[in-house]
Amino acid sequence: MSVSQSQIERLTAQGCTAQDWSTVVLDATTDLSRIQRTHFLGTVRVGSTAGDATVDGVSLPCGIYDATLADCSVGANVRIARIGSAIARYDIGDGAVIQDVAAMTAEAGATFGAGTEVETVNEAGGRVVRLYPTLSAQTAYLQAFRRHSAGLHRTFARLIDAEVNGARRERGTVEAHARILHCGKLCNVNVGPHAVLRGVALLAHGTILSAAEHPTLVGEGVQARNFVIAEGATVTGGALLEKVYIGQASKVGKQFSAENSIFFANAELFHGEAVAVFGGPYAVTHHKGTLLIAAGLSFYNAGSGTNMSNHMYKLGPVHQGLFERGTKTGSFAYVLHETHVGAFSVIIGKHYTNINTPDLPFSYIHESESGSEIVPGMNLLSVGLVRDGEKWPKRDGRRAPVRRDLISFGIFTPYAVEKMRAGRAVLQRLQDTTPKDKAVVHYGGVAIKRLLFKNCGKYYAQGVTRYLTGRVLDRIEATRASSWPAVQEALRASAVLRDPLVWTDVGGLLLPVERLRAVEADIESGTLKSVAEVDQRFAAIAAAYEQDEWEYVCAAFAQEYGAAPHALTRDRALEILAAYETAANGLHAKVADDSRKEFDAFAHVSFGLGMTDEERMADFTAVRGSVDTNAVVQKLRQEQDALVGRLAHLRELLAKF
Amino acid sequence: MERSEIAQRVTKVVARVLAIDPAEVLPASNFVFDLGADSMKSIELIAGFEEEFSIEMDEDRAREVQTVDGAVDFIAQLVQ
Repeated sequence: MSVSQSQIERLTAQGCTAQDWSTVVLDATTDLSRIQRTHFLGTVRVGSTAGDATVDGVSLPCGIYDATLADCSVGANVRIARIGSAIARYDIGDGAVIQDVAAMTAEAGATFGAGTEVETVNEAGGRVVRLYPTLSAQTAYLQAFRRHSAGLHRTFARLIDAEVNGARRERGTVEAHARILHCGKLCNVNVGPHAVLRGVALLAHGTILSAAEHPTLVGEGVQARNFVIAEGATVTGGALLEKVYIGQASKVGKQFSAENSIFFANAELFHGEAVAVFGGPYAVTHHKGTLLIAAGLSFYNAGSGTNMSNHMYKLGPVHQGLFERGTKTGSFAYVLHETHVGAFSVIIGKHYTNINTPDLPFSYIHESESGSEIVPGMNLLSVGLVRDGEKWPKRDGRRAPVRRDLISFGIFTPYAVEKMRAGRAVLQRLQDTTPKDKAVVHYGGVAIKRLLFKNCGKYYAQGVTRYLTGRVLDRIEATRASSWPAVQEALRASAVLRDPLVWTDVGGLLLPVERLRAVEADIESGTLKSVAEVDQRFAAIAAAYEQDEWEYVCAAFAQEYGAAPHALTRDRALEILAAYETAANGLHAKVADDSRKEFDAFAHVSFGLGMTDEERMADFTAVRGSVDTNAVVQKLRQEQDALVGRLAHLRELLAKF
Repeated sequence: MERSEIAQRVTKVVARVLAIDPAEVLPASNFVFDLGADSMKSIELIAGFEEEFSIEMDEDRAREVQTVDGAVDFIAQLVQ
């Protein structure tokens, strides 16, 4: 109800003024003593002012103190205090706290960051991702990387137009229990429930999504313009963001600066700089002097001083780099775009050639006297790869009820295994065609030593064998069939896919290409009518992963072994078991060997300053542990024991038929 | 094949793969600590020995060999 004359007198006595008291509406339960030195402009509604709010550890009364409110609605039990200029055109939810904020204003028709055109991957444009609050890694990928079809692009753009227009509002929103404390200017920024903004320098044109289950924190010194920050993210430490999306549970800080870049779930971005980056899930850069530019990457880790070059000083900064999932760049790695690095590869040193090795996954690409060299499949033998594979799902920090990005975990997937099959074929072809007097050949812009063809091809072969036979044996183990024909039936593929061998990585989600094309066809035909429906379709595809994976296994197995799994005889199954044993033991032994190197004599270098050899060893063991105490080494031993047990169980199982 | 011939050919392979003077390759030389062979080079060394002697080496066992002399012994068992 509008304020009564007696209420106006009471408020006036408490230093309050109004442009027009008839447009000030107070809740019946509003405690007038808790509205002091407040100026009302336009229509302002104020809810109950009961209760206290804790600010900096001090319990302070709810209410409105020393503030100008223009065209706002204030929910129940809100504390607003000491606002520099004004809070204008905002709807403030119950339980919110806004204190010591320079200004908080929204303009009519603002989109709060939605519609921001982020020029990812190609700094000169062409792979623009338009932001909107419910953006996912998958719909961003469609925008950036599926530019081959003008019809698809046009139709999908219309769906995004609807999202952008849907975000357009006459007023801004601070949702329930958000806390905005000691901040500078906020202009056209929506703040989600339970978000905490603390000492922010400047926020303009953005949306901060948040959830009670996982509040978002934007902290000290942050300057952000044209952005969306998703639930559970932490952006603090003077981060500078312009035209940026920060995904759920990501951490940004320590003066990291990003421009025209998007980073999806669980990114960790500190110290360095990103320009025109499409960062799928788990993009990590922790160190100073690191420039990630014009790149697509995911499950990526940048060493200090990593530097990418996209300019070439010809037609401008138009060159791009693609680092397939799981790539790492070592300290001071330099990469010259165009670049396409195969999955789970490691780049060491400076590379002045254009690397194009998508079919050589799990490789080490290193600098040598003669230029850039590759050791294909080398990372398959690394304990670091095992550790990465285990840490990613454990470090999925998302706690919001909606997980926006669909993420396929696991290292050995149809996508990676098919790449290994391709890599094995590449090495076999090179081996067949390279004369023995030739020490080195060039492939994809890098040198490969002839001597590596055979053994590196063997690593891929072991990886393929372990995966395919292992998956078939998994199925046999899982069936409770009492006869071999029943086992064979359980191994039959559902045959839903026409080409189950061809997979792709859509912003962290692995799926058969034909499923992606079906989504695209349904977008173009108008069957999928909104971005939400597109996301739902991707979610359905993600849910079908196991079925699609099995179709892949069946198709690839048939190519490798001459018959599909359901056609296996029991004797053939025993041969498959033997192949699995050899491959699994072979790879496991190499990884275990690599883990033990972490404790060999080289690892002791720099330990035990001024000590005897015995003391030096004790110093090392006290700090680093030993092969007998290290958790990773122990886990590898347990896995080896489990493998032995599994093999025995499988032999026993097969003997029953 | 005589052990001395195996040793001579091992030295040749090691010097070529690691790009070092054959005179630096001594029987007691440790591949990692003395000759600078990292894990990438060890793959090349194994392939080089296999090619030189037309043998198949068990890579996991071969990786346990630490010295030039050890490599000679290991290969001697395979070429008998």
